[in-house]
Parts: sequence; structure tokens; C-alpha cells
Amino acid sequence: MPLGALYQDAIALLGAAGVDVAPLQAGGRKLVFEADDATVFITTRPSDVPTYVEAGAADIGIVGRDVINERRPDVYELLDLRFGECRMVYATAAGEDPTPEIIARLGVLRVATKYPQIAEAHFLATGRQVELVKVNGSVELGPLVGLADGIVDLVATGTTLRENGLVEREQIFHSSARLIANRVSHKLRAEDIDALTARLAQAVAAEAV
Amino acid sequence: MSGSTSGCAHSARKSSVSPTDPIQPAAGALPSGARDVLPVEAAELREVEDDLRATFARYGYREVRTPVVEFAHQLERADSGGLDRAYRLFDEAGRVLVLRPDMTIPVARLIATRLPEHPGPIRVSYTGPSFRVPQPGKPVASEHRQAGAELVGAHGPEADAEAVLLLWDALRSAGLGHARIGLGDVSVTDAVLDGLGVSADARTRLARAAESRDLVEWRTEASALEIGGPERDLLAGLPAMRGHAEVLDEIAETVPAAAPACERMVRLLELLDQEGLHDAVLVDLGILRDWQYYSGLVIEAYADGAALPVAQGGRYDGLAARFGTSRSAVGFTIELEFVHRALAGVRTRRPLDFGLVLVGGLDALQAQAADLRAGGIPVIALATGDLRAEALAAAEGWRFVGQPEGSALRIVDRADGAVLVSTTALEDLSSLR
Repeated sequence: MPLGALYQDAIALLGAAGVDVAPLQAGGRKLVFEADDATVFITTRPSDVPTYVEAGAADIGIVGRDVINERRPDVYELLDLRFGECRMVYATAAGEDPTPEIIARLGVLRVATKYPQIAEAHFLATGRQVELVKVNGSVELGPLVGLADGIVDLVATGTTLRENGLVEREQIFHSSARLIANRVSHKLRAEDIDALTARLAQAVAAEAV
Repeated sequence: MSGSTSGCAHSARKSSVSPTDPIQPAAGALPSGARDVLPVEAAELREVEDDLRATFARYGYREVRTPVVEFAHQLERADSGGLDRAYRLFDEAGRVLVLRPDMTIPVARLIATRLPEHPGPIRVSYTGPSFRVPQPGKPVASEHRQAGAELVGAHGPEADAEAVLLLWDALRSAGLGHARIGLGDVSVTDAVLDGLGVSADARTRLARAAESRDLVEWRTEASALEIGGPERDLLAGLPAMRGHAEVLDEIAETVPAAAPACERMVRLLELLDQEGLHDAVLVDLGILRDWQYYSGLVIEAYADGAALPVAQGGRYDGLAARFGTSRSAVGFTIELEFVHRALAGVRTRRPLDFGLVLVGGLDALQAQAADLRAGGIPVIALATGDLRAEALAAAEGWRFVGQPEGSALRIVDRADGAVLVSTTALEDLSSLR
């Protein structure tokens, strides 16, 4: 279970799919919860969810597409859960896009991001050289204080970008929450996982109506 | 002058090294992904290896060995992407060498180039280490102990069934009776794509989704194709289809062009059912590793306690041709360390090793020690009066400790604390085995 922005929606969707999520709603400071049917929920930072699933500490997990693209874990990606919708974008300061000028005159673009793998792949695929500055928070600050020419970051509504005088220039991909499964659990517990996936797919479809 | 100065600086730096010095690695440091194997683990790995070898031998698979070092260009013939994570070095002529990153390709090379006159079918097995550069942040070793078997020059469901049966029997003999075997089939998936007239571009995108196990992306790509409703639904759900023969019947019904490929797999399942493998086998069309490499069946084996498949394999009829001799082939590779890890979760505590720590075995009881060893009882000999016998037995896990008592031996069985005073130690100990 990903703590943070996806957490409540994940609980709601699991509940709608008939999973006993009562222990998760109790709250508190525990990180591991066990339901009456012996289902164990592990709560962790979103970026660690694929790590737990890949290592088999958890059979399945819920995590954003952004984390999957950045971490490239060796897991099955089973279902688009259609919440936590947002976009991975490249943004620069408002006004004329400085990118072509920087590429032409300096040859290399300096980009601040929490997602170095995604940013590198994006600029490589579009034929532009890039120097990445890995930051751990408040990425929007980068172009404002001269740390970087632009940023690659996740945006939901775009409010934070606007308030910091940034403009989206390129969308890299569309992200939403996904259901992932460990490679071995996916086969050894095939019946359980297929049943849960089917129930979640129904709940997602019902939500969309 | 300059020499003595640098010598001085060197010794000064050496003396400042502390155990936590980040620049100078600790005495036990090894390259990333490398590790030592201590006696208990080594013994258990050896047992797994012996069990697998014995099973291969029962099916008539004879052992071959290939060198650890190969020319990079030789292996690249077979699988251009396979060397991405190989350790590379140079030989005296500047040619690029690799530490073999797996055993399948070297064994295919051996069969194609050393056994071209063999009438076939050829059955070979192998055991040994392969090497891959570990990926940062992932708990995977650089050295993989592998054991595997190849059936070359035989095709059809019967040959496939032998490979699956051998894999299952080998895992069972090593103690993984609860392992599950997943079977995919590239030829079924290809036949569906052919039958639906899917373009080469779309196939590339689907293959990429399948190989990264991204069923969401596969569904998105398949749903965008301009084909009939039921066919499109089938294709979108194809890698999520699993079960037994009914899965293949459903595919053949919706896409008649795929019926021959489905029939072959149904026949394979019949053969496996007759061997009693019905419950151990899961048909899963999402098992689509290395699409370019495999030409038919794709095999994976899973066991509780191992986060990755304990074995992988399949049919690769095109591989031998890349070394100049065209032959069909099916085989698999078992990861010994993964099997061992899964077993460590199954087994209870390891029993004490059957052996006698014998005080006096080095001097007064030399003849006794020799008799016992000749009779098949391991003897760890100490000098008369050595007081470390019990501590040594505890540290190394030996079951028996013996001391001379008059003309007899006083033997303590550490498994249950029983004491035995014996003048016929060889018979008495042998009876306890």
C-alpha cells in the first residue's frame, strides 16, 4: 500500500472490490496490518512499493506509473486502477520556451528532477543532450533560482507549476495507479490474484460510470 | 630522493587506515555481487546439485562442460542482447572475451560445433557457474550456480513433455515437490497475431509490453487495433489467460488460424497429465520472455521462498543454426541458489552432521580412526587430552564426541545426549545412521 497521495483512493477501491480494509482505516502508527481473513497489508513510501513486491515481501502492490517507469522493477503490471491520475511533464519558466536557444548555444540542457531515469530516457529519445540535477523535493524551485533550465516532474492540476511561474512544455506520459504482482506470487497464487484482479477491474469500471 | 618521499607518504597513509575507512575496503570486502560460501551452505548446495545430476543421469542426459571464458563475438551470434550484463575482458591479442552470462548458449555452441555427426536426439546436462554484472540496488549475486539439461534434435509435444517432466522430477528430487511449472508458448501467441493480421509495428509494441510484463500496456495496444470485437477482446486478454487446456480451446475457437499451435500444446498437456503433473502445471500465456530467442514452449518454475523463478527454459529451434548446424532444441536452466533458498524455507533445522570428533584420534587411537573412516564414518581427530572436543563439535555441527575409556570408547550422541560405551564403535555408530 502506497502511503501519501494514493493511499485513501487505494483503500476505497480495495473496499469497493470487497477486500476487508477495516484494519487500514483504524490508522495509528503501525506499518503492517493484518485483516481477519489473514490478508497482510504493508504500508510504505510509494517509491518502495515495487521493491517490496519485486523481492517477494509482498505478493501484490499498488503504485503509480511514475514510480514504475523510474524504477523499472521486474514485476507484472496487471491493471490500470484509474485513480491518482497525473502527467509526467517537462516544464520551464513562463514566457518563450528557452529550450531551443539553450540547446543551440550551450549544447546541453540542465534539468532538475526527482526522476532521473525518466528524464534521461525522454531527452535521449528526443535527441537532446541533458545534464540532470537530482533533487529530492520542491523541484519547481530549480529554474527560479538558476539551479536548472527546466524540470521534469509529476503534475496533477498544474497549480503548483503556475504558482511558481512555470509552464508545461512537453508531456512525457500519463500516469495513474497500477496493480503490480511479484513474478512468482503471480503464478503460485494465480487463482487468488486473478480473482482479486477481476474484482478490482469491476470496481474500476463501476467507478468510471 | 623522490622514491623515499613517496615511500614515506605510503607508509603514513597505511598506518592511518581504520576498519571504517571508506577508501580502503575492509579485509573481507569482495566485488559487488560476489560472495563466499561457507561449509554448511556448501554442503547443502552440493546435495541439491547431486540430486539434480542424479535425475539428469536417470533420463540419459550426459554431462558436458564448457569454458567459463568465451569470445564475445561467438556468443553474440546467438543472442545480441544477452551480453548486456556480461563481464568483459581482453585476451593477449586484444580480442573481447566474456565470462559466460548463461550456460544455454555455450552448450548450444558445443553441440553444434563438437557433435555435428551425432545422429540425434542429443541429451546433455551441465552444472556450473555463470556470471552477470549485478544491477545496482537489486539483491542479485554476480555468480549464478546453474544446472540444466538440453534435448537437441527432437521436436513436437513429446520432446517438450520430456523436458517439462525432467525439470519437475529434478526439482522434486532436490526436495521441491511443491514447485509449480508455468508454461507459455510463443508459437501460440505468434499464431494468434498472424491469424489476426497484426502489423509488424504493432507486434513490436506488443512484444515490448509482453517482455516487460506490462499487461496494461498490452491491453491498450491490442484494444487500439482495428480487428473484430471478439478477436480484439481475446488478444487484449491473451497474456492474462491461464489455466489448462480450456484456455487453448478458447483461443482456437476464436482464432481458427491458431488451432494447430493450440493443438500441439493441448497434446503436451495430455502427456503431462498422464505423468501426474496436472496440478503442478499452469498454462499462462503471459509467460513470454525473450520473444526473439524462443520459438515455442516457454517454461518457468516457481517455488515458495524464491522471489524469482527457480528455473527457466523453453524451445529455441533457431539457436543451433546460428552456430552452423540447424537442430531443434528444448531445455531449461535451474538456479541452484534459488532452489536452495526455497528449500531453506521448507526444511526444518538442519540435522547434525554424521561424524565423530575423536579425542586421541591423532595419536593413541590412530588405528581406530582409520577403521572408522574406512567404514564410512567421518572422523575429526584430536590429540589425546585435547579439551576442545565439545566446543569443536558444537561449532561445526558434528553429532558424536568420543573419548577413550579403558580399552573402550565413550561416545556422546549430541542429538539426544545419549552416552554409549563401546568396544565395537564402527558397528554401533553405523547402526545409528
